[in-house]
Amino acid sequence: MNKQIEANNGYIAVANDLVKHFQSGPSRVRAVNGVSFRIPSGRIVAIRGASGCGKSTLLNLIGALDKPDSGELRVDGVDVPRLTGAPEVAYRRRKVGFVFQQFNLISHLSALENVKLPMELEGDSKRASDEVAGALLRQVGLADELHRRRPAKLSGGEQQRVAIARALANNPPIILADEPTANLDSKTGRLIIDLLQALRRDDRTVMIATHDVDVAAKADAILEMSDGQIVSRSGG
Amino acid sequence: MITVNGAFATRLDDIQSQVGTSVTVRPAGSFGGGFFERGGDNNSGGANNTNGGNNSGTSADPAASTQPPATLADQDVNKVTAISHVVSVSSQMTARYSGTGLESAVQPRQGANPPAPAPQAGAGGGFRRAILVTGTDDPASPALGVQSAQLTSGRTFDASESNADVAVLGQALADHNGLKVGDTVPINGTTFQVIGIFTSGTQFGDNSLFVPLTTAQTVFNRPGEIDQAVVKADTASSVDQVAADIRQTLGQGNVDVVTEQTIFQAITAPLSDAKDSSRLGMIAALGASAVVILFSIGLVARQRVKEIGILKAIGASNWHVTAQLGVETAVISVTAAILGALATFPLAQKVANGLLSSPSAPTGGRRGQAFGAVAGRAGGLLGSVDVAVSPEIFLYALAIAIGLALIATVVPAWHVGRVRPAEVLRYE
Repeated sequence: MNKQIEANNGYIAVANDLVKHFQSGPSRVRAVNGVSFRIPSGRIVAIRGASGCGKSTLLNLIGALDKPDSGELRVDGVDVPRLTGAPEVAYRRRKVGFVFQQFNLISHLSALENVKLPMELEGDSKRASDEVAGALLRQVGLADELHRRRPAKLSGGEQQRVAIARALANNPPIILADEPTANLDSKTGRLIIDLLQALRRDDRTVMIATHDVDVAAKADAILEMSDGQIVSRSGG
Repeated sequence: MITVNGAFATRLDDIQSQVGTSVTVRPAGSFGGGFFERGGDNNSGGANNTNGGNNSGTSADPAASTQPPATLADQDVNKVTAISHVVSVSSQMTARYSGTGLESAVQPRQGANPPAPAPQAGAGGGFRRAILVTGTDDPASPALGVQSAQLTSGRTFDASESNADVAVLGQALADHNGLKVGDTVPINGTTFQVIGIFTSGTQFGDNSLFVPLTTAQTVFNRPGEIDQAVVKADTASSVDQVAADIRQTLGQGNVDVVTEQTIFQAITAPLSDAKDSSRLGMIAALGASAVVILFSIGLVARQRVKEIGILKAIGASNWHVTAQLGVETAVISVTAAILGALATFPLAQKVANGLLSSPSAPTGGRRGQAFGAVAGRAGGLLGSVDVAVSPEIFLYALAIAIGLALIATVVPAWHVGRVRPAEVLRYE
């Protein structure tokens, strides 16, 4: 991984003139409009802006959940726009971990099974994935007695902890969190941000899309977006 | 409906497989019930028998409004034998006997109206169920020309006994009169030795006896006369030609010529109709099932679009998503198919019986003995359509259910597999 970062001059993610359109009725909307950035490894980066400014779309492009219409994007040495098929699946599984605003846990699986899922997709043994999933859930502060509960039996904060544990399951170098505190009360939201901040200790990069000024204030760097463009940058 | 349709198809195949190359020739009008309308019994014997076929064309019953059919003669049989593709001709003469030598095993129903007594009905004109006496020159037939008959004791007569006073009795007749093989029985002044006892499985069928043809013609005073000839064609494909040649040779208006194929077609018509109905029902049921399954599974797949998007976002491949949905659907489909089969198969027999209510073609002996024999065979088959749930039919149903469910799953899964996860999650 270090060699790949070096190949990107020490940046975990590098984007150049990224563009993404959406069709909205008869009109064509530029959700991401010529975005360029360089994200150093091991940092917490906040992408801040009002709703609809394009920050979620930008995270989706970085996570290979969507494809840009044009522009360049390299994440951990991978040319993301060119990914298709198995390499694209492997990228989503190994290079990035996604934390959603709506948690997006599988409702009929327990907390432990949700965390195990990416490891099982990777082909890990049941025993190994059981151990790692349990350890991750403890790491994010979810009590053991909650591990067997289904998402519906967990609070919002607990569900988001499970989602963070799932994002960490295959030990990806970059975590993408899309409005991770938007559905939580302020106290729980702060705990979740503290949790995401702690991930930096493992030289992991965390990109958080948020419209919350307080959340953004805890980041190492802030990319301010408006109308699909980065209008200001601050921090490292 | 698959089960019902399969049962009908199987039964039709069974019947079809039993259709032979026989052509039955009888005097014109006999197949319309002529034989049984020919007047009184032949139990008086001797010269005072006037009804039994002397080709006179006179009715023994003054009240009868139709001319009694003529009989066939030995020379007619000789003409038929000479026809191309004819392998063999066997002749039969049948008479009703209600004399005192044998008592009928079939008693009239209480309250049944007896037919008007014929002049030959015996002293006092009392009503009794007549005993059928059949003379045949086909002793080689193990069942005496009755398909379902089986010897229960003794033997049938052979070619050397063509003029012998021997008889093979129906089981009911023998039991009723306390007769067994070796006993003797008087009929029209002739003492017959019982050499065999048979059963046809029906009370009426067992209320009859068989004797050599020449003996029957003598005893019932009908020398050289026969009531029907059964002609065997060499192949099934030549049956129709043989039937046409017989009509031409003996005269279109003089004889009724019926092939087994014709008889079976008439008798199996209700079965064919029922099979057609069940096929339509099967198609309708399959169509309805397909719509329900496709709709249900499609709905479930659509409801799981978000889950599919999540799975793809965390690194599941299209194949993984499709396989997971497919396996889940297969499990549900198998379970549903088994439960559905257990719930509906018990109804299959009732559905079959409902479709095959009452055959429109007669299945009894009212159309003459030969027709009756064949009709009885088919009638028995019609009445015994067994809607058994075979493993093959169950597997058919299972395969169809799973196939439909998989199609219903794979199509939306394939569609979702092509969609970007962000697109799915954005709108869910």
